[in-house]
Amino acid sequence: MEKHAYTCPYCSETFDALENLKSHMLQAHKTDPIPRPEGVIRLTVNGEEHSIRVEPEWTLYYVVHDILGLTGVKLFCDRGACGACTVILNGRSVLSCMTLAIECDGMTVETAEGIANKNHPLVENYVKHHCMQCGYCTPGFVVTSKALLDKNPNPSAEEVQQALAGNLCRCGTYPQHTKAVLETAQQLAEQGKEAKK
Amino acid sequence: MSEEIKEMPDNPMERDKYIPEKFNVLGKRGNKRIDGLRKASGKAVYTRDIVLPGMLYMRIYTSPYPNARIKTMDTSRAEALPGVRGVLRYDDPEVYNRRIPTLMGGEEDILAGYAYFQGQPMGAVVVADTEDIADEALQLIEIEWEKRPFYLNPKDALAPDAQLARPEWFPESNLLPLFFQPTNVFAHGDVRKGFEEADRIIEFDGSRNYHGCPDAEMISGITKWEEDCAELWLHQQHVYEHKWMMNQWFGIPMSRVKINAPYNGGMFGGWNWIDYSMVPQYISALMAKRLGKPVKWLLNRRDDFTFGSLDSMQSEFRVGFKNDGNITAVQLKSYFENLSYEPGLHFLENTKIPNIESEMYVAQVNKGPTHAIRCEQLPPSFALILVFNHVAAELEMEPTELALINDGVDGEDINSLNEFKKEHGFPVRDSLKECIEKGKEAIGWDEKYHPPGTKKLPNGKMHGIGFIWDHEWDETRGAGMAAVIIQQDGTVNVIATRSDVGVNAESTYCAVVAEELGIRYEDVLLRQQDDVHLPLMTPDGSCNLTTNSYVMKKAAKKAKRQLLELATSTIHLIERDVPPAFPGLATDELDVENSVVYVKNNPSVNKPVADVVRDVQGSFINKHPYAGTQNTTHTPVYAMAYHRQGRLGKESGRQRLCRQAHFCEVEVDTETGDVEVTRVVNVNDVGKALCPEAVEGQQYGGTYMGVGRNRSEEHIWDPATGVLLNGNLIDYKFSTFLDVGPIDTIIVETGMGLGAYGTVGIGEDVGTDTTYLLHGAIHNAIGKWVDHGPITPDKVLKALNKA
Ligand code: FES
Ligand code: FES
Repeated sequence: MEKHAYTCPYCSETFDALENLKSHMLQAHKTDPIPRPEGVIRLTVNGEEHSIRVEPEWTLYYVVHDILGLTGVKLFCDRGACGACTVILNGRSVLSCMTLAIECDGMTVETAEGIANKNHPLVENYVKHHCMQCGYCTPGFVVTSKALLDKNPNPSAEEVQQALAGNLCRCGTYPQHTKAVLETAQQLAEQGKEAKK
Repeated sequence: MSEEIKEMPDNPMERDKYIPEKFNVLGKRGNKRIDGLRKASGKAVYTRDIVLPGMLYMRIYTSPYPNARIKTMDTSRAEALPGVRGVLRYDDPEVYNRRIPTLMGGEEDILAGYAYFQGQPMGAVVVADTEDIADEALQLIEIEWEKRPFYLNPKDALAPDAQLARPEWFPESNLLPLFFQPTNVFAHGDVRKGFEEADRIIEFDGSRNYHGCPDAEMISGITKWEEDCAELWLHQQHVYEHKWMMNQWFGIPMSRVKINAPYNGGMFGGWNWIDYSMVPQYISALMAKRLGKPVKWLLNRRDDFTFGSLDSMQSEFRVGFKNDGNITAVQLKSYFENLSYEPGLHFLENTKIPNIESEMYVAQVNKGPTHAIRCEQLPPSFALILVFNHVAAELEMEPTELALINDGVDGEDINSLNEFKKEHGFPVRDSLKECIEKGKEAIGWDEKYHPPGTKKLPNGKMHGIGFIWDHEWDETRGAGMAAVIIQQDGTVNVIATRSDVGVNAESTYCAVVAEELGIRYEDVLLRQQDDVHLPLMTPDGSCNLTTNSYVMKKAAKKAKRQLLELATSTIHLIERDVPPAFPGLATDELDVENSVVYVKNNPSVNKPVADVVRDVQGSFINKHPYAGTQNTTHTPVYAMAYHRQGRLGKESGRQRLCRQAHFCEVEVDTETGDVEVTRVVNVNDVGKALCPEAVEGQQYGGTYMGVGRNRSEEHIWDPATGVLLNGNLIDYKFSTFLDVGPIDTIIVETGMGLGAYGTVGIGEDVGTDTTYLLHGAIHNAIGKWVDHGPITPDKVLKALNKA
């Protein structure tokens, strides 16, 4: 197949892929070749790229839950007090009900669905240790725990408790989470050792 | 079914007669939770998550005043807001003056033109393209109000010169007729005689502030019409009953109501009762019909703060006892808010105290309704725990000893309870003694117990240790039905309608069926059947497992009978006869285990269940890959079962045979009044733990809820305006992970429950009783009583004369 040539309108340099032309124009000429309509943000959610037009007042929760249909973010307190809407945004756990979507342009988002789809052992251990009752808070706990393990792969029970202290569970499942997180940490450590062998 | 009903006594106080000698599935750890992966991965769907094509959003106006009536209302600006699709007013003909009977007696307007508490949904509803637009439109409604005096304290509401708190509902007086009992004095024996026999008499009072039930998931519901069939999505604990109420209240034929019961984000009572969620559900049906689109009604977080538990109460206690610890009389007088439950009951049901008198008054106040929220037994648990705390302290007796001295039932001691156990086929075990022994050992009671106010810790705080006991809930009432199908490949479905509250009931039902049918646990799956007449007792917690496990057991036994008949008979199909899988044998010569049918006296002769049912399945024989040929039987085994267990309040001598005991340690900071709960030990006799992990889950969860209610949960109103000040989850404090120290979960299995396999419910027991866990421990720490809950630091400081 014939290769397309993409030519820069400013300096006439050619590229064999549109993406390469785009990054050249952004870097060399500080201009976006295909400007996005106002209010459109790019989000990478669980590894998938999305381009979404958002209103300025839309929360990240609303976009992830209502627009993208990911039910792993839950609205429990609706005010930054419960952690049920937690996502990992560019590597940090944040409350999606308190985050404006428009400020998340270009960022990556990880939700419980993404963690489960990657077969992270945390999810199996959550099931094994009955960390859920009604289950409404559970994905938020999974995400917070994942963020903890990403940062601190070998937490103590107390560190787990501290990390999860901002997540509310009306059903009171708390102690079961410690068991699941510590067992996951141990498994990941063992997997790491195996991989190094 | 009629056969099954005939077999059931009115008073099923007998122990389950068919308990297997060995269990293959039940009681084992590691049976995988069926809902686990769905819930952990965020893929479980709740009503709040559901969006239907073209769906509109409905919000209800809430009253800004605690007692007021609409004089005039102007909704024109709301109606004109772009995106608003419909407004329903209280004076629209569809709802005006339409009153409906409520579960708790009395009648209510579907959409009232008046309000009895600030935050009451009333006046008008708006349906719009989005929730935000509907909210904005509500702000545009202009109302001219007639404001009326309001009462936040039952004693004020009952004062002779008080005006009416709820004039349209109760025009005579603010004294509410009792719902659960015929008179306002509950008596057993003769308290006067009991006080005469007493060596000592003490008096004290205690109270509980209104606390509530916000669920994790803000409640919502959806109605969609297809021609004249209504389809409902419900966050509800009584889903099947929704059909019935839709018919009874609104005349919609039940055959034309389809219900969906997605997962529920928390369900501890309150809003989940039909009379309250039913109304918005009906209005959504009305608006969906009017607008020709599905309509979802939603409460926001503040709206969800409208319910209180039944222990919004103020009580005065008088207790007589002998120096040896025998309690001779308990007398109490209580004032309740909006609804009540008899606080004297547990003295009758769990002790040998011969003389009891409890007088109660229920006042209409201008707060939200109170209701059974994990659970209605809060008042009797509160009363029992406080009385035992005080008597033990007065006698300087170890509280565990006092409990054992007074354990019994109906004024009779433990020996008469033991007679009852013998007569009704139960093992004769001393449940309370077993619970106490295990709990004392786990917490190190003998080393740690000390006289009140005597142990200062190196960190300067006062150490306290406490013990409570009770049996909060032994009811196994209810009825349920379900079916079991063996599919053509030998896997099994349980079909039933249930409402999930997270107690792992789905998995436990499957475990019962697997156990009884001899099928591998992983081969059984419950399929939620939303739309047909197979309602289980729901929610699945508490008494309901004990009823529903009988249902599962019966259905599985029937299915097993059918399976073995199939295995030993020739099946006549249209075009051919299928020979038996086990020719020449009778059904009682076979058994099933691990999904294999085998000959009892020669297990090497066996055949997988899958093969037994497949053999009669014509399409497989003809090697057709599909099942649509006329010589098939399709699912060859289908069995349906019904079970009714007890009748609430109708049996005499409804004995509580099992007991529970809870121990805790606290550290009290006498400078700040802060109480740290450093350790809790729960010991519950559950008869038989069908799923030990789920039992432990209830022990953990109940503790966090109970301790939260004991320490921080309360609704706070502005006395000047009657406005609720903390209707959000920042100012209303649930327990967090850090609020309770390590929790031990000890399960005792005496087999003395009335449920299948000798089980007793656990779902409500811990959460209810631990709501009063800390009073005794705090007294042990500081030598002062704090009997007015929740125990906030200011109350501790007041007890210490520091505030
Ligand atoms: S819903 Fe976002 S923190 Fe509670
Ligand atoms: S499992 Fe129900 S809120 Fe946590």
